Amino acid sequence: MKDRVALLASGALLLYVIAMTCLVPLGPGLIALEPVADAPLQRFEVVGLGTHFAGQTTQSRVFVGQPGAVWEWRVLEARSNSRLLVESVWPEKLRSKSLDLFVYHPTDGTLLLENALHVEHVPVDAMTTFPALSQPIPPGDALGLHFPFQPQIFESIRNLLWHVPMWFTMFLLAGIGFVASIRQLGSNRLLAADGQAEAASRVALFFGVLGLITGSIWARFTWGTWWVDDPQLNGALVTVLVYGGYGVLRSSLEEAMLRARLAAVYNLFAFVILVILLLILPRFSESLHPGKGGNPGFNAYDLDSTLRLVFYPAVVGWGMLGWVLYRLGYRMDGATRWMEAQDAPQDLGIASTPFSVNK
Amino acid sequence: MNFLIALLLQATPMEQVFFGSGKAWVVLAVGATILLGLVGWIWRAQNRLKRLESRMKSLDSDQIQP
Repeated sequence: MKDRVALLASGALLLYVIAMTCLVPLGPGLIALEPVADAPLQRFEVVGLGTHFAGQTTQSRVFVGQPGAVWEWRVLEARSNSRLLVESVWPEKLRSKSLDLFVYHPTDGTLLLENALHVEHVPVDAMTTFPALSQPIPPGDALGLHFPFQPQIFESIRNLLWHVPMWFTMFLLAGIGFVASIRQLGSNRLLAADGQAEAASRVALFFGVLGLITGSIWARFTWGTWWVDDPQLNGALVTVLVYGGYGVLRSSLEEAMLRARLAAVYNLFAFVILVILLLILPRFSESLHPGKGGNPGFNAYDLDSTLRLVFYPAVVGWGMLGWVLYRLGYRMDGATRWMEAQDAPQDLGIASTPFSVNK
Repeated sequence: MNFLIALLLQATPMEQVFFGSGKAWVVLAVGATILLGLVGWIWRAQNRLKRLESRMKSLDSDQIQP
């Protein structure tokens, strides 16, 4: 009964996650400030993504500078929803050669592009002050539900709802296997815990492979390559290989009690390696991966309320699906073993699955 | 950078490519079909397992009785 409830709940949650992943639009953002070819220091094009420049253009306002020290540029025309032509105005001195870009639009609100422009033709004085804005910036209209715009990540931010929960599920199942292995080692008899450890580790491996695949696809679209030599990525691959080795070890041993004890010891080390390689080591070395090597994780600044609305159900949904698959594999293994003990035919009336192993 | 911008924007913002063309609905339909198929398959396997387990239990209890 519990298994069926978990299955239905995970199905409903993941259906919701798929729907939100596909249907919630990305919020607006700025991509670049490009000089116009025939007037490189006078005219620029603001390039946005998901912006609405073409509507209410006269109310658009563009500022450059640093927070608290900005001045306004003149908006000439909106060439499209994503391109805004502006005319620059230069003060006598700048605070810094590197300028941020702020664009206000009634629909999009105020958008920021950090270090949008590097200026060489105006002298720099760090003490330069700028007058306060003559008109306050009103808040933008409510945009409705949208995922946060992040530079480099863009639309691929949706993968957060798949990639991260898959690794969480992998950790959950590896943890179940770890506890079951400890229970098996604490006894001189062959316990159900051995079967639980085996089933949990198998599904953990499955989710680990899914996590690697989704991560590699994400890397392709944000870092430009399928794989980088990064401690987090290499650690994830090694971890998956270690859990693959667990299955090889089990299949190489005939005697059940010996197999249970050796596999349990191996599983303890596998879990420790998982923790060290994925949670500890990447934090002490340089890493491109968010949340590692000094890089902020998503929750630090851009896991906004819309993402949370989908991310938490995704974590619960994937976790429950992992649990259901683990329980299914464990029960199928038990039935197979029982039939072997009875010397009965192997046909259980269930198609073979990646989560069941006939021994 | 310019290549990335051109790739992203092309003629219209990406938002319109993904949502305006209806591709989001196709992705949603395919994803939902795969998920529902998986849930249906697990449901069926659970039912069969349950029947098998109850049969195993009754056979075990028959063997224990003298």
